[in-house]
Amino acid sequence: MAAPALEVRGLVKEYPGVKALQGVDFDVRAGEVHCLLGPNGAGKSTLIKCVSGVVEPTSGEILLGGEPLPVGDPAASLRRGVATIYQELDLVPELTVAQSVFLAHEPRRGPFLDLERMRRDTAALLARLGHERIDPRRRVEQLRPAAQQVVSIARALSHDVRLLIMDEPSAILDDEEIETLFAVVRRLTADGVAVVYISHRLDEIRRIGDRVTVLSDGRTTATGLPAATPTERLVELMVGRAVEQLYPQRRPAGGEAVLEVRGLRRLPEVREVSLDVHAGEVVGLGGLVGSGRTELLRAIYGLEAPDAGEVRVNGRRLAPGRPDRAIAAGLGLAPEDRKSQGLLLGWSQTKNVTLVDIGRFERGLLNVRAERDAARVQLRRLKTVPDDAERVVRELSGGNQQKVVLARWLLHHCRVLLLDEPTRGVDVSTKAELYRVIADLAADGVAILVVSSDNGELVGLCDRIFVMREGRTVFEVAGERASERELLRHSVAPAETADLIEEVR
Amino acid sequence: MMSTSSAPGQDATAPAPADGLTEKRFAGIRLQEYALVIVVALLFVAGAILKPDSFPTIDNVRNMLTQASVVGVLAIGMTFVIATAGIDLSVGSALAAAGMFGGILVDPEGSTLLFVAGALGFAALIGSVNAIAIAYGRVVPFIATLAMFSIARGVALLLNDKLPVGLLDLNGGSFGDPAEFSLLWFGTGRIFGIPVSVYVFLGIVIAGWLVLNRTRYGRYIVAVGGNREAARIAGVPVRRTILSVHVLMGVLVGISAVLLCARLGSASPVSGNLYELDAIGAVVIGGTSLAGGRATIGGTFLGVLTFALIFNLMTQLDLSTEVQQVVKGAIVLGAVLLQRPEARL
Repeated sequence: MAAPALEVRGLVKEYPGVKALQGVDFDVRAGEVHCLLGPNGAGKSTLIKCVSGVVEPTSGEILLGGEPLPVGDPAASLRRGVATIYQELDLVPELTVAQSVFLAHEPRRGPFLDLERMRRDTAALLARLGHERIDPRRRVEQLRPAAQQVVSIARALSHDVRLLIMDEPSAILDDEEIETLFAVVRRLTADGVAVVYISHRLDEIRRIGDRVTVLSDGRTTATGLPAATPTERLVELMVGRAVEQLYPQRRPAGGEAVLEVRGLRRLPEVREVSLDVHAGEVVGLGGLVGSGRTELLRAIYGLEAPDAGEVRVNGRRLAPGRPDRAIAAGLGLAPEDRKSQGLLLGWSQTKNVTLVDIGRFERGLLNVRAERDAARVQLRRLKTVPDDAERVVRELSGGNQQKVVLARWLLHHCRVLLLDEPTRGVDVSTKAELYRVIADLAADGVAILVVSSDNGELVGLCDRIFVMREGRTVFEVAGERASERELLRHSVAPAETADLIEEVR
Repeated sequence: MMSTSSAPGQDATAPAPADGLTEKRFAGIRLQEYALVIVVALLFVAGAILKPDSFPTIDNVRNMLTQASVVGVLAIGMTFVIATAGIDLSVGSALAAAGMFGGILVDPEGSTLLFVAGALGFAALIGSVNAIAIAYGRVVPFIATLAMFSIARGVALLLNDKLPVGLLDLNGGSFGDPAEFSLLWFGTGRIFGIPVSVYVFLGIVIAGWLVLNRTRYGRYIVAVGGNREAARIAGVPVRRTILSVHVLMGVLVGISAVLLCARLGSASPVSGNLYELDAIGAVVIGGTSLAGGRATIGGTFLGVLTFALIFNLMTQLDLSTEVQQVVKGAIVLGAVLLQRPEARL
């Protein structure tokens, strides 16, 4: 039998004071999709960085097709056919598709770019992926996220890839787009490419994976498991214990309407939305990426001034386009991208928590001790790890970063909390904790509006669910009667299904 | 992985510092400040060895601090501007224009108060124009203040037909023993043997530290520089913060202009040349990030001292101003290269 496409033996990576990897072993066969599972901080990112050469391991071996790979040399990894697609799309939005695919290795004729060949080769690569309809001359920013993902994969293919590492590729995609992605992955494996697939969404593993390796605390706790392994067993391997219940039990809410949205319009994304959220209620917003959900939250919060309509909190109208007024009225927002929109990554947990309410600690001068103590109370309430209020937020895992954002709004005692994809990129045990926090807040009478692309999450968590499509709410259902299938059906307009990968605008 | 021992609620026991990176250690600010203290000490020792008769004297130290206070005041303002991820290239020209404006107000006669008010007011006006262009006109700070760099220098030259204005006799000033609160007193007078301008500089350093580290406003400044979108979502008044920082810079340019004119006994339209480089250089050497989001007044203070020592020493070693200019630029470039990569522009 031929040597495996990738073989990792006893891989160790130590940072000063931290052992990120403490002996990882696994192998990936040509033509298989090998899923890599593990909670945040388990070492998945470090592992793939070692394989792609960005990080030099402390000890251990990496073999590609039976041959040792020079470590800490990204160029060597690339030459040997290792390509990585990161969770955050690393495309330059202003470049065209063809320019993106051949970025930094543009075909040339003499000293000049061979634009014609670049276009032709790009078209060929896209065709190989089954997406010949993406125009190589279009700019990347004009494409839907799923199409951008395809462009990233085409770029990997332009390097004659033998091993493709995909780090949470589905995180930014909705269900239909994920199907498109899976179709692409199946084409690649049929060509003999080995794929390492990282995801927090356990349901995907059965759909796309062949075998599974589980990491926990920098070690392989299981490797080569069949993809059909029961979900409960995988979760147990990941967290070292069983997660009894992902979604907390909730009492039905019966408060009055705290947040009232009336005829809100913010073109082009939000056409017209009216909805209420009652005290103690968790309301979900489902729909496809690009259906206007994020823009709706931003308009409610005052980050964009709406073209029409109004937002009321406890019966009082919010000044449009004024997030500071919205906050004063009791609104809070945990934005979609916590790194670029939610947090100051170079700041301590404390300063991030107190930023909104910093004035509370100012009596002429800031009382930094009172500030830190107040932040610590909220951080501990959320069991943020590590329990060190002075720790820089950049160093925290995604789940803990999200907790820091939530701690800020706990400190603010907000009455309406807008959550945009609160559990994206968060491991399953931290997810359960975040759901618990959301349920507790609701029990305290906070009105909560959650945007999520994970329909299972909406069904498990929400009292009521709206589905948005093309800037409108097209469907409303009580949480206990909702099903994932139904939410998905309403998310997709019947005529649109075939056009899913088509460019937007 | 989970810490099970941490009881929620008001557990007052401070946790032992973990092995990881807390803000202070991570940012490297503290480290850089300690290193600068050593640099300052070494420079002083070097001076004392190379020029034992003229360098380590009270007169020379006094002179050095007096000179440092002019750029020092600018550097404190520049720390705030750079903390918002901005820059101000116009401070040297604005300083000359502010001094000239105050000068023509009191020529042929007037009071110190009128001069100070005129210089501060005019500098604040220049700062406000920068502020409005940047905060409301959305002009990139680099371009807005580069334009002002040219405008203010032109204005300084136009105000008195390219000629300086003498300010020696404002409120009974004279170089030997200036009367209290005469203009010259601010530049050359002493209290308990320490020049008045040094008190002004140290006062601004302390006030600057308090504002940056112990007020809501200071927190907002760094938040705006660190992540503008996150600051906005947290309700920080982003535009007002940027606006006020540039107005504040203007006021400090005015104070700096007063100190310079008071030391020289005149206002000159060609003064303040390349002071923007000195101020920015001191800030960068101190460890404030050019990308915003990380600022240190203590570092800036040490950066100012470092610059002052280096130039005093070079002057004593009879190196020409041209050589000094080369060295100055090289130091600034080196300091930026030594910053952590993500802190660069």
